[in-house]
Amino acid sequence: MNTNLKISNVTKIYPGCVANDNVSLEFNSGKIYALLGENGAGKSTLVKILSGVIIPDEGKIYLNENNLKLNSPLDAKKNDIGMVFQHFNLFETLSVFENLIIDSDEQRESLREKIDTIMKKYNFSIDLNIPVLNLSAGQKQKVEIIRCLIRSPKVLIMDEPTSVLTEQETSELFLSLKKFSEEGILIIYITHKLKEVMQLCDEVAVMRRGKLVSVSEIKNENVESLANKMVGQNLKTIKKKKAKTSSDQLIKITNLNFTSEDPFETNLIDINFSVNRGECLGIAGISGNGQSELFRVLSGEIISEKNSIEFNNNYIGDLNPQERREYLMAFSPEDRLEQAAIPQMKIFENVALNNFKSSNFFNNGLINENKIKEHSKKIISDFNVNTDNIELKSQFLSGGNLQKLIIGRELITSPDLLICFNPTWGLDVGAINYIHETLIKINEQNKSIILISTDTDELLKLSDKISVIHKGKLSKIMNAEEVTSEKLGILMGGAD
Amino acid sequence: MIIDINFIGLIIASIMASAVPLILASCGELITERSGVLNLGVEGMMIIGAISGFALMTVTGSLIIAIFGAMLAGVLISTIFAFLTQTLITNHVATGLALTIFGIGISAMIGKNFVGIPGKEFPVIFEGLKDTIPLLGPILFGHSIVFYFAFALPFITSYFLKKTKIGLIVRAVGDSPESASNQGINVRLVRYACILYGGAMSGLAGAYLSMIYTPQWIENMTGGRGWIALALVVFSTWNPIKILIGAMIFGGLTIIQFHMQAIGVRIPVQFLTALPYIVTIIVLVVISRDSRKIRLSTPSSLGKSFHKDN
Repeated sequence: MNTNLKISNVTKIYPGCVANDNVSLEFNSGKIYALLGENGAGKSTLVKILSGVIIPDEGKIYLNENNLKLNSPLDAKKNDIGMVFQHFNLFETLSVFENLIIDSDEQRESLREKIDTIMKKYNFSIDLNIPVLNLSAGQKQKVEIIRCLIRSPKVLIMDEPTSVLTEQETSELFLSLKKFSEEGILIIYITHKLKEVMQLCDEVAVMRRGKLVSVSEIKNENVESLANKMVGQNLKTIKKKKAKTSSDQLIKITNLNFTSEDPFETNLIDINFSVNRGECLGIAGISGNGQSELFRVLSGEIISEKNSIEFNNNYIGDLNPQERREYLMAFSPEDRLEQAAIPQMKIFENVALNNFKSSNFFNNGLINENKIKEHSKKIISDFNVNTDNIELKSQFLSGGNLQKLIIGRELITSPDLLICFNPTWGLDVGAINYIHETLIKINEQNKSIILISTDTDELLKLSDKISVIHKGKLSKIMNAEEVTSEKLGILMGGAD
Repeated sequence: MIIDINFIGLIIASIMASAVPLILASCGELITERSGVLNLGVEGMMIIGAISGFALMTVTGSLIIAIFGAMLAGVLISTIFAFLTQTLITNHVATGLALTIFGIGISAMIGKNFVGIPGKEFPVIFEGLKDTIPLLGPILFGHSIVFYFAFALPFITSYFLKKTKIGLIVRAVGDSPESASNQGINVRLVRYACILYGGAMSGLAGAYLSMIYTPQWIENMTGGRGWIALALVVFSTWNPIKILIGAMIFGGLTIIQFHMQAIGVRIPVQFLTALPYIVTIIVLVVISRDSRKIRLSTPSSLGKSFHKDN
């Protein structure tokens, strides 16, 4: 049975922004479609319209020639459109089964049988009786998918599904999606990751600033052509110049250990490394192997033995982050909205947060607002943050702009060492390029970087030396030129 | 010997009787909070229930009208809260506090004409069976219908939340209103219903005080029981069975410290009066220490306004 989904002249306008500008698209089952675009290109708005979460101002949706009225998520469900959101729509404290039965009209027993059949068919294994909060991100996504499959959908929409998955989970997901497609489910895959589009999809529609830019077959495209369509300008490829090898040691970590009381954290075992001035040390690894613990130990969120960290000839292992900043260290944590910035506070207030002593932001306990605002404006213009309103709450900045702001805030005091953790996670190509250029510039100014990242390409591009973290242990440190991504992959999997 | 045992039975029965309003109000508030709404107006809703019940009983002479009228009064005042917090998206805490102040004030005003009027006797059931079993007889038999309902309520509530579809939906809304809304659940409707139910139970708790427990109207007669009910919900970690335990301990210590004061035990009166509060909280904290269970039963969205944007 063929499924045909048609989007006809859809427009959705928000105050100050046209999210979807007269978009028309047509999909047929048997193929996997990619909807590609940068953050804020309007692809999420479009799929929310398809799933009934947002009602468009104009335009119509047709499924097999029938005009659909999608006024609520329920309408989408009734019309056999299933959607897996980027942010899971699960109830964390309810069990997996309770999550699945809540929107089903079936009896417990028959539903349980149905779920079992689905899990067997697609090789999912999830305990139905444990609460969702105990599941990994990949498992949660499977629950979402099962929830859609229960209703035997004609259309399945996946909104940036791999942003929380490990590489292995990603390839499992791709296998399942291909299987669904073979069974006649029309799949629409939303992403800004070009590689995934090339790997998985048959056709690709590119969106930019609310408009549909192009629709084409994958076989006629390559990563570069898609990137250019997505960003709308020819991207310059950045290459790092080989840094002059300096032997001036900046930071040295000796026998650093961390044992956590939380069973969900990773213990760090005998970490030893050093970074010279002007150097970038990349630390690769599959997420959850101790990266966040390492970042917290290096930044001083977790305090360690005084002698374990030597920075600029000072022992600073027992200092907190604020004190470490005094020694000219700077930090850019992984979670931009939770750890790096306070979402409800304005941009300039967030800028003031990490500069307590060395700045003149505060006079006798009073906030020197003019000074902070002046400083914030400088960051915004120096680091290309795309807003001119420093009174804006930081939660309204896009991921890329927020990351630029945070890196800018850290760098404007010109620190000797920047420690960053997944600085380009979830960002679009334009923003990633900008961040990468900035990081290269830091090295050129003879400042150092410790780059903890799960993105191997990024590490190979930026690092001078690379090490891999696995189960809290660091591999030997290698020169970046000698390392290939295959070699990294093997080390990340735990082999020597 | 048999007389002694029955005396103990009578004390236990009086402890249970004093626990009734706490159980009723707590179980009502528990449902409200499980849907993610924090209604601090329990004290206000209880006192409205108390005066409405007593006034209707005096005016109409019908106990049935009075009991249901008190519940309806609780529903009406909680409708104000629901309208403000769910439709106008006001802050739960501030609105709840206002509700309590409003309830105490308006009940005092209505109650002016009812001070000093004697109440009616409320019929008890199974009176005749009281003497058939030693100890258990006075505990089990000869109470009002509201008493039996209150002791069944925690179990009904527990069953409702765990086993029924509607209970599941209530928990889901309290866990994540955004997800619930995306699943096509009408969050506002569910929350309205839970708030109104909480109001009805608080109203009934108030009516129990003014019509059955001490059948008369005294200004401010709830005397902070609404706040205790609120505390019970939190310290029981939203578990109806633990509410029952907490209410019994609180009721028990209240009765026992009265007796101790009467006997003249040489402990400062202030300490004795504070004892039920302290011990109840300690016990509930101790029995609810499992942080994983707390995480699982705490409504994640408690007290947060949900505004569906479109």
